[in-house]
Amino acid sequence: MFKVPADRNLAVFFLLFGLGAPFIIPSLYLNSYMLPWLIWTAAALGLNLVTGWAGQLHLGYAAVMAVGAYSAIHAARFGVPWEFALIIGGLASSVIGSLFAFAALRVKGLYLALTTLAMQFVMDWVLNHSPAISGGSHASLQSPTLALLGQEITSDTGFYYVAFGWCVLVTIFMLNLKRTGLGRALVAVREKDFAAAILGVNSFYYKILAFATSSFIAGVSGALLVATFFFLAAPEQFSVNVSIQVLAMVIVGGLSSIIGSYFGVALILLVPGLVNGFVVVTSQSLGMQINVETLAHIPNAVYGALIVIILLIEPLGLGKLYGNIRDYLMVWPFDQLRK
Amino acid sequence: MELKQHVKAVALATALASSAAVASAQAEEPIRFGLCFDLSKSYSFVSPQVAQAAQDLAMYTNDNGGIEGHPVEIIVRDHGNEPQRGVECYEQLKREGVFNFYFLSTPVTNAVLPRAMKDGNILMQTFVGRGDAVDGEVFEWVFPVGPTYWQQAANDVAFIKEQLGGNLENAKIGFIYLDYPFGQEPIEILKAISEKEGFELDLYPVPLPGSDQSGAWSNIRRDKPDYVISWLLAGGHVVASKEMRRNRFPIDRYLSVNWMNEVDISNIGAKEAKGILRGTNVAGGQDVPIVKTMLETYYANGKGSGPESLVRDVYYNTGMAIYSTGFEAARLAIKANGWPLTPETMKAAFESIENFDANGLMAPLTVTPSDHGGGGKTRVEQWDGDTWVPMTDWSADYLDVVWEVIKESSAKFTVE
Repeated sequence: MFKVPADRNLAVFFLLFGLGAPFIIPSLYLNSYMLPWLIWTAAALGLNLVTGWAGQLHLGYAAVMAVGAYSAIHAARFGVPWEFALIIGGLASSVIGSLFAFAALRVKGLYLALTTLAMQFVMDWVLNHSPAISGGSHASLQSPTLALLGQEITSDTGFYYVAFGWCVLVTIFMLNLKRTGLGRALVAVREKDFAAAILGVNSFYYKILAFATSSFIAGVSGALLVATFFFLAAPEQFSVNVSIQVLAMVIVGGLSSIIGSYFGVALILLVPGLVNGFVVVTSQSLGMQINVETLAHIPNAVYGALIVIILLIEPLGLGKLYGNIRDYLMVWPFDQLRK
Repeated sequence: MELKQHVKAVALATALASSAAVASAQAEEPIRFGLCFDLSKSYSFVSPQVAQAAQDLAMYTNDNGGIEGHPVEIIVRDHGNEPQRGVECYEQLKREGVFNFYFLSTPVTNAVLPRAMKDGNILMQTFVGRGDAVDGEVFEWVFPVGPTYWQQAANDVAFIKEQLGGNLENAKIGFIYLDYPFGQEPIEILKAISEKEGFELDLYPVPLPGSDQSGAWSNIRRDKPDYVISWLLAGGHVVASKEMRRNRFPIDRYLSVNWMNEVDISNIGAKEAKGILRGTNVAGGQDVPIVKTMLETYYANGKGSGPESLVRDVYYNTGMAIYSTGFEAARLAIKANGWPLTPETMKAAFESIENFDANGLMAPLTVTPSDHGGGGKTRVEQWDGDTWVPMTDWSADYLDVVWEVIKESSAKFTVE
């Protein structure tokens, strides 16, 4: 599974770190940073499957997550056990998400991006205009308490482990995808779909499969995001800017890079908050009287600059950047021999 | 007159300061208010004014001895209207000992509400979040002090009824709104009142962000409603004013939701906007004692918490109203139960606020354990070309209809 032993060691380290995190990391960082990071990573990996591997630009990913979240919560509210509710959410997302695949058969690249974006707007409209789905005139739908295997989950640690488990599951799936026929077929479709067809790869089938699988991951991730983090679903949690954010996570992380998705999510999701805190603390410690509005805009500028700088340094994203650093360190101090 | 108002303002400050000595205030433990605001995205049309008002009021209070001797600390953070960052802000400030929160964003408030309810922290949510949270029996920790959009819409209809001679049977009321939850919220109430009063209700949805209203106003020209109630925001009002002129609809029949400020008026044109109506729970303008005091005490000396232009904005008054209420609750809590101030004593204090109008700044509030909204009184003000002129007294109408909807909605909420 890992061509380079360093990658395997890193994966084992992260796995152990993830398992021990609740005992090491303060609860604030566990439930406000680690937990959303893991769930969004799972979601980003799902998008990476369809965008990175199968090469289909997708701008309606948040809409697909919304389908999963709302279906699962409605199912759970109806009394369906959470295990099944999550699967129902995933399947509902798969069905709706596969509709995008039919568009993908006709259009490609930017045209597909626009088509998926249109689907996102359709979903926004549906959520805003169906009180039955979105939960009354306030458009917020409460999630029942998450319970898995007959065990109610209410503690921060419990929520964390659910998110961790799901993220590990998706990561293992993606790691395996790389080395299976399915993964290779998706790459073939990405590179040239008619060339793939000549090789006997049915691009129609694989496109649908890619959309359905990635939508399943999106659906379950959306449902878990609500069940373990927000505790209620609202349309804004799955709006168009969220779709763009997930795509940014995948691109900044690196297309078809698994470790890259982890880094990409950390950058897009967590860095704004961290930079914000950093700027506030710095300005306080320096005793500067900065207007609150200016103070709010400085982190945005820093964050934007950070993305530009990273993509300038390594256009293939953070995943590739990690690869470069790893390769450098692996031969260190003999790196000059290669030159 | 000016002197009288100044005396009144000082009286308010003294009430806040109570008997405590100025010098000792800084030495005492502070009372912290967490303002996790959207200062960089969708809500930045209002949040800087509110944050500035809170900071000014805290400064004034601290300069006058604090609240029962304790200084007030205002902690402002940006969440960029992202629920995830709002939750992060809440969790962080919670650990720093803050238990009074205000998020000034509906999506973020909704995301934080289950946590605040579970943790037992005070969640102020004036003008944002779910309207049924005024039901204090269900939403014990939520204080949407001020009118809900439901109550505001009901009060608007009552105003129109009064203007039309007390009978709405042959009346036609239009409702133009942004076609998403904020704009859709009052529809339920308007329909219920329309059935009760027998007027015709015409709905005119407008897509976000409200820049395309031509279809809606063509329909309004055809339907000729007596009044149009508007649930638009910021630039939406400017577009509406152009459309009104184009379709020859009288601007003095346009009754806006509270979200219309001096910036919108200047964008419409101060003279062109003459006659436009606005429902509000705070008095507009700078003649309000506390605003006047801020201008004279701080801004005249260049010591305000931000630019003076933001003070000359009704959203600054709104911020003042929100935090006057919050500070008053803290004062009542310490007075009744002493220090330390806890979420429980703060909650009890909020629920004991009676007939509090922050010295003419807003509609008198009476918060009770069952009504966390404080009565929901508003009034209608008219722009006369220079300033806002009140047309009615503070009142809340159709309470039975509104509360029926509130109860029906809040019954579906449970804390798990």
